[in-house]
Amino acid sequence: MIKLKTENLTKRFLGLVAVNKVSFSMEEGEILGIIGPNGAGKTTFINLISGIIMPSEGLIEYKGTDITYMPAHERARRGIARTYQLIHPLENLTLIENVMVGSIFAKGHGLREARTKAEALCHELGLTGLDRDTSRLSIFEIKKMEIARALANEPEVLFLDEVMAGLNSDETKDLIAMVQRIALERHLAVGVIEHVMGVIRELTHRVIVLEAGELIAEGKYEEVSKNPRVVEAYLGGGTV
Amino acid sequence: MNRTASRIFALLFGVLAVTLPFFAGDYPLQVARNIMMYMALAITWDMLLRSGQISFGIAGLFGIGAYAAILSVVRAGMPAWFSILFAAIFAGGVAFVIGFLILRLRAMYFSIVTLALGEIFRIIIHNLHDFTGGPEGVVIQKGVVFGGKANSLYWLVLAGLAVAVAASTWFEKSKIHFALTAIRNNEVSAKSSGIDIFRWLLLAFVVTSAIQGLLGGIFVQSYGFATPDAVFSADFTLLPLAMALLGGVYSTTGPIFGAVLLGLVSEWLKLKIPYGHLVVYGIIIVVVILFMPQGLRQLVRRTPHGADGRSA
Ligand SMILES: Nc1ncnc2c1ncn2[C@@H]1O[C@H](COP(=O)(O)OP(=O)(O)OP(=O)(O)O)[C@@H](O)[C@H]1O
Ligand SMILES: [Mg+2]
Repeated sequence: MIKLKTENLTKRFLGLVAVNKVSFSMEEGEILGIIGPNGAGKTTFINLISGIIMPSEGLIEYKGTDITYMPAHERARRGIARTYQLIHPLENLTLIENVMVGSIFAKGHGLREARTKAEALCHELGLTGLDRDTSRLSIFEIKKMEIARALANEPEVLFLDEVMAGLNSDETKDLIAMVQRIALERHLAVGVIEHVMGVIRELTHRVIVLEAGELIAEGKYEEVSKNPRVVEAYLGGGTV
Repeated sequence: MNRTASRIFALLFGVLAVTLPFFAGDYPLQVARNIMMYMALAITWDMLLRSGQISFGIAGLFGIGAYAAILSVVRAGMPAWFSILFAAIFAGGVAFVIGFLILRLRAMYFSIVTLALGEIFRIIIHNLHDFTGGPEGVVIQKGVVFGGKANSLYWLVLAGLAVAVAASTWFEKSKIHFALTAIRNNEVSAKSSGIDIFRWLLLAFVVTSAIQGLLGGIFVQSYGFATPDAVFSADFTLLPLAMALLGGVYSTTGPIFGAVLLGLVSEWLKLKIPYGHLVVYGIIIVVVILFMPQGLRQLVRRTPHGADGRSA
């Protein structure tokens, strides 16, 4: 079942077209890789879908409803969640309180219920020391907290914007397994932006490639990574 | 300061506030009334600050409440008691309307507009001579609450303070705490967690403004008159701000400590150097912002793990 789709989604910043007529869709239970060189428009694409910025043109449909211009908080309530490439912990709330926020406002749970749910989420992700300030957390813990915060919305669609960046290989392995399990158990559609192709290969069922705002390829990682256009795009900025 | 200690202090202040009229003379009671009035304003200022919005409009809403109360008595024959409630509703209503216009603004744009609005309210009252009495103001001829008895007025102000403390505690203990802190820390994150930012800012702005209006109503009912210069005085903005900053922001207890401390110091200064106290407020604000951004509580706080750190 299609959870989310865009048609000709476009975002212009002054002269720059950051996202250019992108049409795609995501199925329930699918882990989709979103790749592309630096500045390709991946984060902007997710900002559009989550409502952090509004599109210049095009359509976003979620579970059959047009949400193109719906406010971000409303999309969060309906089940679209995400993490941020530049981490945004709420520094005046403790670890557990950070995770409670989505439960309280996206799902409307009371404080006590939100705490119970947040504790369960933290436990699931292997987070301990729940009353710590976020300034005391390691990078790995912060990343897991960001995922827990997004999951507290009880989403149906989840986007992870470079959550693996800055982690060592053991931590990356852990997190890959965690994301797979989370997606499977919750029947989530997950969009994963990563620069490390090993992660994409292992984690995703399907990949879309953005370059200069345009969707230039789509398919299984093995196919896409051989696509000449993709290879060329990456030769400009790095390797596949 | 850890939570238990600050609770004990707050409790002591509470006991002192309730017992004071039974043993203190007129002058100390007058001083205490003053301090409690500013303390309540400081608490309301802090309540909105928890969302990250810095208001310079306290005097504006206080003044509006003051005039709403006095004019409803003098022009419409409203009972004194009810006029105080009316002041709160009126100021809250004004905040609701202007909130739609100004709560899209952030940082210094919000601050400056609140300052300007306060000034605009003052000028309007100043110029609507026939209705408001203009610069000479309005006097309540008869029908002030409690016939102006000092002891009873003390209880009235204490009740106003109790409203502020109760509202602030509600903000701290409920989901409002999560909403405002998230908005202050990161609006983008807040939205992604389902927080309707505008709605919570509006709630905080209306509630704090209504209490400021209520206090304005209590103020005019205590003194029996209002002039634009008296009720829109910059003191009502600057002092609460200095008190909250001094005591430590983002809590109820911070502004309480700050108000007691600064209230007593400024009372003493008023006797020593008339008007010099204003200079001292200015200096305190500057020093606190430069050297103790978390207020005095920072000096005594020793909580490494943030059990109390939410208000740090
Ligand atoms: N708010 C903005 N205003 C102007 N330009 C922007 C804005 N946000 C992004 N851009 C530009 O849009 C383009 C796409 O940026 P985006 O962050 O979406 O790329 P990305 O694919 O996520 O890159 P990276 O892999 O480096 O994270 C870039 O050229 C960027 O400078
Ligand atoms: Mg990016």
